[in-house]
Amino acid sequence: MGHRYGLGGRWVLRGVDLALPARALVRVEGGNGAGKSTLLRLLAGIDAPAEGQITGRPARRGYVPERFPAALPLTATGYLVHLGRIHGLRTAEAKRRAGEWLIRFGAAEHARTPLAELSKGTSQKVAVAQALLAAPDLLVLDEAWTGLDTAARAELDRAVAERVAAGATVVFVDHDPRRLAGAAGLTLRTGGGGVRTVTASAATGPTSGPQVLIEVVGPPGAVLPADLPGDPIRERQAEEYTGAGPHPGSGSGPVRLTVPAPYSDALLGALLTARPPWHIRQVVPEEAPAQAAAPAPGTSPEAAVEVSEAP
Amino acid sequence: MTALIRYQAALLARSQRWLAPLLLYAAVLAVGVQGGQPVLGSLGVAAAALLPVTAWAVHLCVGQEPPAARTVASAAVGPRRVHLAALLTATCCAAVLAVVTTAVVLLVSSPVTDDGARAVSRPSAALAGLLAALCCVLLGAAVGALSSRPVLVRRGWSVAAAVLGSLLALVTTGSPARYAVTDLVTGSRTGTFQPPVLPSLGAAVLAGAVAFLVCRIAARRG
Repeated sequence: MGHRYGLGGRWVLRGVDLALPARALVRVEGGNGAGKSTLLRLLAGIDAPAEGQITGRPARRGYVPERFPAALPLTATGYLVHLGRIHGLRTAEAKRRAGEWLIRFGAAEHARTPLAELSKGTSQKVAVAQALLAAPDLLVLDEAWTGLDTAARAELDRAVAERVAAGATVVFVDHDPRRLAGAAGLTLRTGGGGVRTVTASAATGPTSGPQVLIEVVGPPGAVLPADLPGDPIRERQAEEYTGAGPHPGSGSGPVRLTVPAPYSDALLGALLTARPPWHIRQVVPEEAPAQAAAPAPGTSPEAAVEVSEAP
Repeated sequence: MTALIRYQAALLARSQRWLAPLLLYAAVLAVGVQGGQPVLGSLGVAAAALLPVTAWAVHLCVGQEPPAARTVASAAVGPRRVHLAALLTATCCAAVLAVVTTAVVLLVSSPVTDDGARAVSRPSAALAGLLAALCCVLLGAAVGALSSRPVLVRRGWSVAAAVLGSLLALVTTGSPARYAVTDLVTGSRTGTFQPPVLPSLGAAVLAGAVAFLVCRIAARRG
């Protein structure tokens, strides 16, 4: 797959051949003008590649541009409802989800404000909300964090983790190397017209960001679900029955799970809704992680998006 | 597609940019159509004036979204459908305008030939007028689609191409619009006329082909 803008233009990307797995967080790195945004636009389906093709995109796709100065004659909610319907939602459902996402990003008071009057940050919140509205299976974020306030940035981190936990492929570019550090399962680097897969150790910046330690106890004989969000590091504690308190005298000791911080909510949700549910004993944030997070390989072999050289 | 057209229509309605082409059309009708004049000639003027107005409407719909909003919609459903929705919205608005003006012209005009000697049947005049108007709408949409983004991006070239294209579509021999309008005008003189079915079909095929081509280019260039 390759792309250039215009017939006589320079090839921005050429000879790119890669497959993106489902249920994965993919970071794209590269210098200015190295073709990061072009790659994202091609993956999202905004531009068709000038040669080769991209196949197997999921039906529900969301894209967040870096800047969203949409001077449209609609209110924030009006725009989101229109976009929700374009994504295939019913009007009532689109309205409900639009309200939910605006509340999550702290923009509820701007729900009835015309888009043209919104500040840069609030516009960006609307842009992020429209992409998350339809629960996309492919989410493409082109520096979507730019312009968001701290709370909204953290919320977007969590929303991204939620989407990955739900089986989506999330591809993102961000100039902050700490963004979702340790959470990305795959890093791609653009440059020189090509795209390379970078191993976790060679990626720029720290490979592990803030982590959360969650201690859980399962029902007797229960095994932890296999595909937990964020692929937590599991440590089974020794049986520590003391006789005091309502401790179930079972053979299952507490298990300590360590995940990148953005995944903690998704992991807790998965544990509490598991059949049978797990009991949460404690949740401890770990700012300085003791161990480097090694992403568990091969969580999902099937490809969600495939980029091939074939015309 | 319905959701996309609703979105485009909402943008067009709230932007108030539709006012300028509508006023132009109203001005042309005010000059060209007078109460009590022969119906077929007035229908011909009303139909011909719709062609540039439709091209203008297409320009408005295709260009009304800022690039950021367009990329967002393109990612959701693909750039072809986004572009097609813009074309369809403009064409549907122009078609509604065509029906309304045909009805108004039929009501205010007198059902006679130019010399007043022979009567013209109102139902057959209505059918011929409606088909001629539709023919002009479809050709205007084709002209608008070919003279705007993504084919012509620069504004100056775009406007010049739309004006020239509309003029050529009305006067070139073999153009369905010229055929349909001429049929009405000569019918008004002689009293014999046929509903322009064939030109309308030709215009529909042409507009479909142009839409297909333009949407393909839109996918390539974003």
